[in-house]
Amino acid sequence: MLRGVAMKQPHASRRTPFHGMRALDWSLRTWTAGVFGFLYLPILVLVVYSFNESRLNVVWQGFTTKWYAQLWSNAPLMKALKNSLVIAGVTTVVSVVVGTTGAWLLHRYRFRGSRAIQTLVGIPMMMPEIIMGISLLVLFSTIGMRLGFTTVIIAHVTFCFPFVLVAVQARLAGLDPALEEAALDLGATPLKAFWLVVVPYLRPAIVSGALMAFTLSMDEVIVTYFTTSPGSATLPLRIFGMAKVGLNPMLNALSAVFVLFTIAFVLFSAHLKRISR
Amino acid sequence: MSAADGMSQSGVSQAGRRPGVAGWLMLAPMLVWLAAFVVVPMAILAIYSFCERDELGRVVFSFSTDSYVRVFSPVYLGIFARSIGYAALTTAICIVLGFPVAWVIARASEAWRARLLLLVMIPFWTSFLIRTYAWLTILKSDGLLSALLQHIRIVGAPLELLYTPTAVVIGLVYAYLPFMILPIYASAEKLDVALVEAAHDLGCGPLRTFREVIVPLTKPGIYAGVLLVFVPAIGMFAITDLMGGARVPMIGNVIQNQFFQARDWPFGAALGVVFTLMFVVSYWILQRRSAAA
Amino acid sequence: MKIIRLLTAVSFLGFVSGTRAAELNLFAWSEYVPQTVIDGFTKETKIKVNYETFASGEEMLAKMLAGGASYDLVQPPDYIAEVLIRNKLLTPIDAKKLPNLKNVAPEFLGMPHDPEQKFTVPFMIGTVGIVVNTDVVKEPIRGYKDVFQPKFKNRIVVVNDNRELVSWVLVTLGLDQNDITPANLAKVKPVLAEWIKLVKVFDSDSPKTALLSGEVDLGVVWSGEAARLYEEDKKFAYILPEEGAHPFVDVMAIPANAENVDAAHKFLDYILRPEVSKLISDEFPYTNPNLEARKLLSEEQLENPASYPKIENYDTFRDIGKAATLIDQLVTDLKSAQ
Repeated sequence: MLRGVAMKQPHASRRTPFHGMRALDWSLRTWTAGVFGFLYLPILVLVVYSFNESRLNVVWQGFTTKWYAQLWSNAPLMKALKNSLVIAGVTTVVSVVVGTTGAWLLHRYRFRGSRAIQTLVGIPMMMPEIIMGISLLVLFSTIGMRLGFTTVIIAHVTFCFPFVLVAVQARLAGLDPALEEAALDLGATPLKAFWLVVVPYLRPAIVSGALMAFTLSMDEVIVTYFTTSPGSATLPLRIFGMAKVGLNPMLNALSAVFVLFTIAFVLFSAHLKRISR
Repeated sequence: MSAADGMSQSGVSQAGRRPGVAGWLMLAPMLVWLAAFVVVPMAILAIYSFCERDELGRVVFSFSTDSYVRVFSPVYLGIFARSIGYAALTTAICIVLGFPVAWVIARASEAWRARLLLLVMIPFWTSFLIRTYAWLTILKSDGLLSALLQHIRIVGAPLELLYTPTAVVIGLVYAYLPFMILPIYASAEKLDVALVEAAHDLGCGPLRTFREVIVPLTKPGIYAGVLLVFVPAIGMFAITDLMGGARVPMIGNVIQNQFFQARDWPFGAALGVVFTLMFVVSYWILQRRSAAA
Repeated sequence: MKIIRLLTAVSFLGFVSGTRAAELNLFAWSEYVPQTVIDGFTKETKIKVNYETFASGEEMLAKMLAGGASYDLVQPPDYIAEVLIRNKLLTPIDAKKLPNLKNVAPEFLGMPHDPEQKFTVPFMIGTVGIVVNTDVVKEPIRGYKDVFQPKFKNRIVVVNDNRELVSWVLVTLGLDQNDITPANLAKVKPVLAEWIKLVKVFDSDSPKTALLSGEVDLGVVWSGEAARLYEEDKKFAYILPEEGAHPFVDVMAIPANAENVDAAHKFLDYILRPEVSKLISDEFPYTNPNLEARKLLSEEQLENPASYPKIENYDTFRDIGKAATLIDQLVTDLKSAQ
């Protein structure tokens, strides 16, 4: 037995090495293919039927792109999209600033009760969205604050910035202090050292945190449901309302567009990761 | 320590310095924000749970434990139980479906791994609402599955698949599956295949290897996945509303209902507080087990 | 730093845009105010309309009273308007600013919920009744008892309105629909529990959708929805339940904390114009109280049994005070106990 282990060549390949496992190997791969099919089939169906001429039925009645055209002319939808983009944009900016600064401060200084602070920061990430939603609604109602853009942005920032903070913190853990010291030795002010040395180093984490914050905000529906007003209705809220009413080829078209953007986004992120290596 | 110690200027980045007033001042905005928008709202929620409502549905500040009495009645305890049950079922199904996938990706060649990961990322990042709607298209009685089965004459009338517990579970599994695959993959990727080989060399069959080598070593990933799936699934009212309607009431739907339809904020708050406590407890348990793993 | 300046600018923009002049915050039922009417109003007066929707009187109250939101126009049903007036939550309407108010049929003015005709303007009248897909359901359906039979399990849609649900059981038991007491509710509870188990869809937004798609075969819905169904296909019959039915009067009112009272009056007068009111009737065929508008409707529209049913000697819902809490609790409990 030990001889078998000793005689093993060092493996560069990561594939399971035993012929007897081929059957297991194949069944695992088939299973995986099946799961991917399960994951993608509904989305494909959605996209295919967004080109269906028929409005109500699943019977194929001809190819058309009119539902996509209708999307553009649907004023409430376009307004909701604009709202979502504005909210996500502001949320991302604020989250990046607060999150990066927070991470930097927590890294640089050893605060008393840092464990408690760390837990506090982590709460919005883990808290069930419905609890966050109702607690914020209750807060705004008590202080008499009108629901609208401001309240939605407050809500979004609250649960988005911890993600940025954690991403930046992880990156900071690998920061070599000698870098900043070197800059200071060479005559830079602390602020300049921060900007010219630390921030560029943090850029991948900031970008990834920002992307995360933006996506979370765009996708968020539950917390928004409790903190919004009609004027600031976001796209996911409208989609939820439309989906409740029933099947709608325009919604199919909208979903297809979304999926397209997601694919672009994922590819873009992967590309960024490859560059930053 | 570093040679710069003796030459420390105020700007030297030695991680772990005492903050001083400046440090606390700079951190204050973030702390105030968290206090104002996380801690205080929860406190208000807790206070409301002990209040009453008036005829118009406004909150009246008179102390009452009526809401809690109602929460702990069989009807609502039943809903809590049902919600936890479905979430647990969803989590279990996600593990069963997702583990092999995570394993296959982790064992794949470099090129394939990248592709497969991308394929998992896409549904992961696609809005869950859209993915749930995708299933609605299939499951509705005027949807694809029903039409297909009617067309090939397996069933005679439109199929009643929606608004059933099955539909709810399908919706939840579909939404959360990628959240289970990725953490398990992260764990599985770190697993040194030599250990598996060693187990084989020592005569273990695949099942034993799985139980005694693979699972223990991927436990962190599994726990992470469970954390990401189980608790959110309990309160996810958007999915359960679309897939289950009013026929499959889950705790998320009931809570949401209290704030807009039934206008019983104290009761909704009480439900919320109990739900939060439940969440804190299960989070704490899972954290400990994951740390011990 | 640049970022701080940018952030300040953005947040300032946020506050400023909230106080831009010439806006109207309209809070109305979903599927009740056509987009064409809103667009027409904006085009003519340059006043931007923020149209928020609710799907039940209760939801309207919830959003109106919570969250510090301030609406300029709300659209409560009669009994809720009564509660609002009693609690001094509405601003009197200046009839001098509404020359078109004369178009409204006199029997819809000075009704029990607003006897002095000071706070509300009738929008549409309707009933809640039974709609049946006669292609699928061949037997005669005359009342609630016929609808809520075990054989129709999972084939029924009802409006998601707590007050409505309870009132149907009350009249079926021969009780007064406005007599909400713990004793009566105790009698309602077992019957309603059974009925709820038979319902497939609770939908106040657009109950006709489930009927049109064949998801359900019969239901108890708003008359306007039934009328739309009838227009779509005459197979959808509308029946007023023999146990008892009630007309509802949906009104427009101005909340006490409204900011754009002037714009609100303009909008009210606008929708009282016959041609505009006709547009509303075209899309939402409820009973139009505007006599001048009725003159512009087609024969077919006036003959729609759901739009203009024979309803007389029926009572509207009245304000029931604290008992509303009991109803909400009862229905929540029953719905949760499935």
